Amino acid sequence: MNNIGINYHSILPEAITAGVALLIMLVDAFMRRIERRIAGAIALAGLTGAAAALYTLRNQDGVTSFNSMIIVDDFRLIFAGIFLIATFLTVLISLRWIEDEQLPTGEYFALLMFATTGMLLMASANDLVMIFLGLEITSISTYVLCGFRRSDTRSNESAVKYFILGSFSTAFLLYGIAFIYGATYHAAATPVATTNLQLIKERVAAGHLFSPEMLFAGAAMMLVGFGFKVASAPFHIWSPDVYEGAPTPVTAFLSTGSKAAAFASFARVFILTFTATSLTGALSDLHSVATNTLAVMAALTMTIGNLVAITQTNIKRMLAYSSIAHAGYVMVGMAAADWKAVAFYLLSYVVINLGAFGVIEVIARRGDKQTEIADYSGIGFRSLGLSATLSLFLLSLAGIPLTAGFMGKLLVFKSAWASGFHALVVIAVINSAISWYYYLKVVVVMFFSEPQAEFKAPRVARSLIAALLLAIIGTLYLGVLPGRVLRALDQATDQLKAARK
Amino acid sequence: MDNYLLTIITLLPVAGAVALVAVGRGEKPNANAMRWTALLTSLATFAVSLLLPLKFNSSAGLQFEQNLPWIDAFDLGVRYHVGVDGLSLWLVVLTTFLVPIALISSWNSINFRLREYLISMLALETGMIGVFVAMDMFLFYLFWEVMLVPMYFLIGVWGGERRIYAAVKFVIYTVVGSLLMLAAIIALYYLHGQATNNFTFDIATITESLKSHAFTLPLNEQRWLFWGFAIAFLIKVPLFPFHTWLPDAHVEAPTAGSVLLAGVLLKMGTYGLMRFNLPMFPDASRKYATFICALAVIGIIYGALVAMVQPDLKKLVAYSSVSHLGFVVLGIFSFTDQGLQGALYQMLNHGISTGALFMIVGFIYDRRHTRLISEFGGLANVMPVFSALFLVVTLSSIALPLLNGFVGEFLVLVGAFTSTTLPNAKLFTSLAATGMILSAVYMLWMYQRVVMGEVKNDKNRELTDIDFRERLALAPMIILIFVMGIYPALFLSRSDRAIADIRARVVPSAKVVAMTENFDNSK
Repeated sequence: MNNIGINYHSILPEAITAGVALLIMLVDAFMRRIERRIAGAIALAGLTGAAAALYTLRNQDGVTSFNSMIIVDDFRLIFAGIFLIATFLTVLISLRWIEDEQLPTGEYFALLMFATTGMLLMASANDLVMIFLGLEITSISTYVLCGFRRSDTRSNESAVKYFILGSFSTAFLLYGIAFIYGATYHAAATPVATTNLQLIKERVAAGHLFSPEMLFAGAAMMLVGFGFKVASAPFHIWSPDVYEGAPTPVTAFLSTGSKAAAFASFARVFILTFTATSLTGALSDLHSVATNTLAVMAALTMTIGNLVAITQTNIKRMLAYSSIAHAGYVMVGMAAADWKAVAFYLLSYVVINLGAFGVIEVIARRGDKQTEIADYSGIGFRSLGLSATLSLFLLSLAGIPLTAGFMGKLLVFKSAWASGFHALVVIAVINSAISWYYYLKVVVVMFFSEPQAEFKAPRVARSLIAALLLAIIGTLYLGVLPGRVLRALDQATDQLKAARK
Repeated sequence: MDNYLLTIITLLPVAGAVALVAVGRGEKPNANAMRWTALLTSLATFAVSLLLPLKFNSSAGLQFEQNLPWIDAFDLGVRYHVGVDGLSLWLVVLTTFLVPIALISSWNSINFRLREYLISMLALETGMIGVFVAMDMFLFYLFWEVMLVPMYFLIGVWGGERRIYAAVKFVIYTVVGSLLMLAAIIALYYLHGQATNNFTFDIATITESLKSHAFTLPLNEQRWLFWGFAIAFLIKVPLFPFHTWLPDAHVEAPTAGSVLLAGVLLKMGTYGLMRFNLPMFPDASRKYATFICALAVIGIIYGALVAMVQPDLKKLVAYSSVSHLGFVVLGIFSFTDQGLQGALYQMLNHGISTGALFMIVGFIYDRRHTRLISEFGGLANVMPVFSALFLVVTLSSIALPLLNGFVGEFLVLVGAFTSTTLPNAKLFTSLAATGMILSAVYMLWMYQRVVMGEVKNDKNRELTDIDFRERLALAPMIILIFVMGIYPALFLSRSDRAIADIRARVVPSAKVVAMTENFDNSK
């Protein structure tokens, strides 16, 4: 090991997913046209390998490498695990779809794996520059994925909107990083500015700053940038259009995997760096300003997401607003500065939402034709398996006990209450009540309405059945027997604890 | 064995529902095999649940307990804790009793998606039993919410014309209340954990810490928690003005759904008040008793007046429920032993008489496909047995002495009248008593228009009297109406202790009350 700390083991998961992405492209090039099963198998094997690599890192708590750019802590491992689950399920629900749509298989899976690489880097980053790098790798891959159905104008619109607004928000983030970098310069004590999160935290705690106002400004701009990425109000406007237009499996991936990744960085910066230490002097406000802003954003996000979701007639658009609402619940956990509740919430949301999108994809058919809620009229008893599965996921999103959705909400609400955000919890429960209405609307249409048009039960591919079964098992497992996962989370460490060792 | 008794009772119906997935499959689905599976399951559940009152020890508190750790990470301390005491004992039995009857009464009326219907009924039974036996707030909330799903489908799929509206309204009303309750549960859990360093959702533990003052709630905190729980329960009861979901849900639900809705679901609200609000937030309960009793009395009179003018039989019965449940709430907030006993007894009575009324309405609806009172008249001439049984149920509903309704309402009124804790108790009681008169008016007038006189409508001449199956469904209800009216001690003796415990939490003794009141005034 040399002085900048090159440690390939610590980036093994990222290396595997990136390598797999390249491998898929190579195989694609040499085979002229890659078979979807081969590409899918390579991707799934890569994800499993990355998971195994993560597992080997579990005992290296607090180890930093690459000049402290990369950190190994439980925070990273847990979030990385969530991303891998998200991509795994996305691959499964895309396997059949990609052939039906006659889209280029190799590129699709390669882009998916690149996006995953970026997400993994976002969780392992211990430096603002590294976060930016991961974010860009993810974003650029997903811009392309959104416009993947090239002949479809909706898909194109989705990609362009996502690209323009995404770049705009990235600029905010970068600007914020620059401000923070500048703020950490202190002529006497620390004459070298830094983007390293641990150093930033130390300097903030010690008050060794060029100017506290500059740090505030930087933090505010980063908040805007992250706010865009997680689609929280008032920066959520892009997401419904993008989600509606993007191909369904891509929407599923965007609303779960890449959103979870944005939350991982968000939590790393805001929970573990800015609000983690007790501050004094001019900075004593930072903690309360940050958490209160997050709380207000959470309340706004939930309320707007849920209220607008009620009026939607397109199921993808409805789930886009529902996704905004769920970002709001996660923000409640952010305000409470409890990343463990955030992680559990995201894990359950990833599993449930990918399951729901899996069903929607089958019912939508080729070219996303049937995505209006009216298209679901009376399919309940004609395709009982699919409808019952979708109902389970929707009820779980609404937060019915015995499913993952309820446990996630309970944890988030509990830690928000313990942090004194009582009004926020009440707003959140009222929002949950509102959300029942639109989730149930789909169930009503499926089971209680008369069928409108000829509906033939679709054939469900085996890979999709596997994905749905995994999602069902995950939803019920996290809802009925969450003990094991919760214990693991409870004992998890983060950079703070790791540094203290 | 006794430890597992409640778990068996709770899970037996679900086991039956799982079996139903496979039973009667084939070229031509075997409807009778499915019906018998469901019926035998519910009868077996009832048979097992009869062990509860037989083995019940009237002088002990919580019994048949099973208490296992469930989720212990993050200080959650969620336990699988079930048990019954005098408060929940009869409600469990009422539930297991009504389900087989509801199944028999709707034996032939469901022809569409029978398998799913029966599965929903059995799943609903598990949810209802679970609510009454859960001794952990997490578990309680779980059953409370999960039970919504089968009820939602029962109304939405097998209901009447406006079923979608009714189903959605039912769920949204309930969910708004229950989510506020969730916030209150989290708050209570957190406050208790902070005070005693024992983070738990266990109802018995929290009540015990409150009783021993290891955990005290100042009035200001009690106020919020009280309403968090109370709104959920009062919507479910339903107390005026939260009652508007009830006529819709009752009218649109299929007969068996209405029977369980009126028979059991409404009791979950009043049960919750007695399980949570009174023992846990006694000061807030006393403070808001006047307000709630005023609403209860309005509900009694308003429900009765609206019932009087209903042209539709099922709507009439639905509004009479609003009126009857008002008595229950009045009894609870009288904070006297008689009032609370009467409330509990009235819960059972209402379950039986209103359940029977809904079945009766269902029987004539199956024959005529209308529920309009004006379509009937003179049924006594063509359906004598039916008319006789109908009369017994009607009289039970208007609380004729020797029948069950009398015991409950009398206890409630005595309790409320003698209450020293409830301000204006005498005024409330007098007004509530007029509700009894009104109930006689609307019930007897309805009975007169449907059953008495000559047959005016020719369609009614062809009606057949109720058959063996229908008599079988009604007979146990009629028997109970008499048994509960003549020998109430059989039931009351088992709930004495639980009721006294609850009353003692709110009104420890006359002297202490006076002191706290002075204390409050001095603030």
